[in-house]
Amino acid sequence: MIDLVVFTVLWVSVSLLFEWIFHTLVHYGVYYYTATTQAVDGEHAVAFILYVLAPVIAFVVLMLVYDLIRFRARKSDGVLRSRHQFRTNKLFIGIWVLISIGLNLLFFVHPSASALEQMFNSEQARLNRQDLEVDVVARQWQWFFSYPQYGIDDAQDANGNSILYLPVNRNIKFVLRSYDPFHTYAPYSGVIHGFWIPAFGLKQDIIPGETRYMYVHTSKVTSYNVNPMVRVQCTEVCGPGHPFMVAPVNVVSGNDFQQWVNQQKKMEGQ
Amino acid sequence: MSSIFADISQSEALRRGRRMLPPVVRGLFWAAIGFFIVNTLVSEVLDRTPLAPYVTKVSVTFGWTAATCGWLLGVGAWELVVKPYFGSPVEWDVPNDWRRYFMMSLDHKVVGIQYMVTSVAGFFIAGLAAMLMRFELMQGNLWTFPTPNAYLSTVGIHGTIMMFSFGTVMLVGGFGNYLIPLMIGSNSSAFPRVSAISQWLLPVGIVTVALSPILGTWTTGWRGYAPLAEQDPNGIVFYYLGVFAMTTSSLLVSINLTATILFQRAKGLTWNRIPMYAWGILAASLLNIIWLPEIQMTFILALLNNIVPLPMFSQIGTPLTYMEVFWLFGHPEVYIVVVPAFALWQEILPVMGQKTLFARSWGVLGLVFVMMFSGLVWAHHMFTNMRNDQMLPFSFFTEMISIPTGFAFLVSLGTVWKSRLRLTTPTLLVFMSMFNFLIGGVTGVMLADPVINLQTHDTFFVVGHFHYTIIGAMVFSFMAAAYYWLPRFSGRMYNEFWGKVGAIWVFIAFNAVFGQFLLIGLRGMNRWVPVYPKYLQNMNFEISLFAFLLGLGFLFNLVYYIWVWRYGKRVDANPWSAKTLEWQSTSAPGETNFDPPVQVLMGFYDYSDERPVCKPTSPAEVS
Repeated sequence: MIDLVVFTVLWVSVSLLFEWIFHTLVHYGVYYYTATTQAVDGEHAVAFILYVLAPVIAFVVLMLVYDLIRFRARKSDGVLRSRHQFRTNKLFIGIWVLISIGLNLLFFVHPSASALEQMFNSEQARLNRQDLEVDVVARQWQWFFSYPQYGIDDAQDANGNSILYLPVNRNIKFVLRSYDPFHTYAPYSGVIHGFWIPAFGLKQDIIPGETRYMYVHTSKVTSYNVNPMVRVQCTEVCGPGHPFMVAPVNVVSGNDFQQWVNQQKKMEGQ
Repeated sequence: MSSIFADISQSEALRRGRRMLPPVVRGLFWAAIGFFIVNTLVSEVLDRTPLAPYVTKVSVTFGWTAATCGWLLGVGAWELVVKPYFGSPVEWDVPNDWRRYFMMSLDHKVVGIQYMVTSVAGFFIAGLAAMLMRFELMQGNLWTFPTPNAYLSTVGIHGTIMMFSFGTVMLVGGFGNYLIPLMIGSNSSAFPRVSAISQWLLPVGIVTVALSPILGTWTTGWRGYAPLAEQDPNGIVFYYLGVFAMTTSSLLVSINLTATILFQRAKGLTWNRIPMYAWGILAASLLNIIWLPEIQMTFILALLNNIVPLPMFSQIGTPLTYMEVFWLFGHPEVYIVVVPAFALWQEILPVMGQKTLFARSWGVLGLVFVMMFSGLVWAHHMFTNMRNDQMLPFSFFTEMISIPTGFAFLVSLGTVWKSRLRLTTPTLLVFMSMFNFLIGGVTGVMLADPVINLQTHDTFFVVGHFHYTIIGAMVFSFMAAAYYWLPRFSGRMYNEFWGKVGAIWVFIAFNAVFGQFLLIGLRGMNRWVPVYPKYLQNMNFEISLFAFLLGLGFLFNLVYYIWVWRYGKRVDANPWSAKTLEWQSTSAPGETNFDPPVQVLMGFYDYSDERPVCKPTSPAEVS
């Protein structure tokens, strides 16, 4: 009985300790740096799981430590076998099974299904009439970004490197394709790439022969120079050039974006 | 034989009767002959192409197959399998010394030790590859490896050898072969020849994958994703072939162990009394039997796709098909790795606590349900490239599989509660393993959530997660089992101080490395990159230092283990006062386990009952 009481008191305190640790972690930002509403949603999902699981983690960790200390065999005892021999404890097993089923169902409803519903909603066509469309083409090993609504075929910086400019507080629709625009006749040249901007909080693979989409809502003016997590990074291994499939991203105000568009068009017109 | 030999033993007569090369040397020799004949036939005669080199990817496939057959025949299959099949008497003399480990053997304990040694060799080869990777990642630019291909080949070699020669093999082929017949009171496995062959396929696989760069680099990592694999130089052919050898090895051993557990149990060892480890091996073996043929067919398709070549998985085929069928096997694979580890917790803790196993039936249920669920979760590896409507079902089953997984914790924690827990190295390692798997499980629940998965997929967060489950749970449990059964294997006992030093060393280094993997993944470190942005360098540098510490920790344990095996303090039989049958026999490799056969009188996990668990049967009782 005394073990149960002591353990329960310790469990509550260790749970609180874990809650505090996770709270600090969440406060600091589990995703380190976020620049879209999608990334913030993801962070919330992580935070929810951590908060709910804190007592569970505390239970197992404390149980391990408590057992090691409290029930360790001392040489002086002189006996080999434990005095307590029991095969089962229906109450404990019942609570354990019900809680583990309950927690998993909870996590399936929220955050899994709820956050996914939000994501699916953000992908619905009727909600995306005003989206900025960016066509992304991945080849080995280079990104191409074009803006069909603005007539920009291949967004480049002054050095001729691909660059992604996005306006802030806009829905962005990325249209993702994998092929080699210089060798469109070669069916073997396309491989699977992964389109990821770490600060945006989600990624999609790009499959040769398929057109895939990714939607984000930018929430912050930022750029690669502000935080290196604001970069396009290929995440699916695509050959030796894989680590070099990086492109800087700039999220700018609406005016700055228009200015950049004009500048790009002037450059492409030359 | 002539009558001169009538007065000496049969085996000596045979040894004097014929001379041959040592089997391993003969195997290598026959392998070389097989390779040169078939490779020449294919590349110079049947499939002759002007200006093609002597070894082409078509010829090497056939040449390798011939070499593997030559090797297997050379190390003993010729005498043990082929000739007896055609009616000759078995003329295979296994000397009773170290040489028996360098030839095919029908003794399950010899096969078990061969498996363990080969598997540990694979672990250290792949571990060396990991060390090279961590060396490269100390800096954000390319400085250890000459090209990214070299780095990526190393990544692939590391993953492939770890998964297929250690993760899948050590607890099944190694401990399983040695211990399962003992634990169920049998003198032999059901099909000793099958295990003998399968053991000698394992080194073929390890060597093939480790030497794959001699054919050319391959960049896909251990998953061999098409269509990238179609572009890779010929090294990828050795990846397919090596994995084929290793998976065949695991498949054969699983068939053997399943049959052994089903049909070779001692009298009185009813289904109710099957030891937990045997349940674990049975579940993992059934997984192997279900899923290994599937991945082998996939790899045969991928190999044909590559060497014919065919456009199956390219842009004009279906690139996703390869991924689907790969993960259809790939996720059950991790349960093949971890289910025996769960069983080990439930095997070791009642002994160390000298307390009746708690909720045994839930433990068995957990193992079996993990096994059955494992085929329903594979596509959570594909949240980034599947249709939206597939996400929720796979997310659902992935989250639900943590329920039966939790039963392993339920049983283990319930068993140690109010036990009289001896704080030995195996206990400590099991506790560490449970802690690590808890972290692996929590990160697993996160990864099962599609929205979180879309951020963390293909980053070091995932790498951290699966190392927590595989090293954290399986390797730590393996170490626990290794120390636990060391007195059984060698008759000698390790020193608790040094055993614990080894355990704590590995535990601290492991958590320092892979805990930080989780963080650096969230911070933007993606996989398969020898070159990464500057801001990740400090953290990577520090991770690498801990990784070297981890590597040295494993090496320390290995060296200490071998030392104890040879020079440790001698110990009596059954030093842990365990009740399972392997401790009721002191048979060394080459000796009969139970003579006369035993009859089991009760289950092995009831520590309130002082009566003996088994008794020798009188000859009349043997049926």
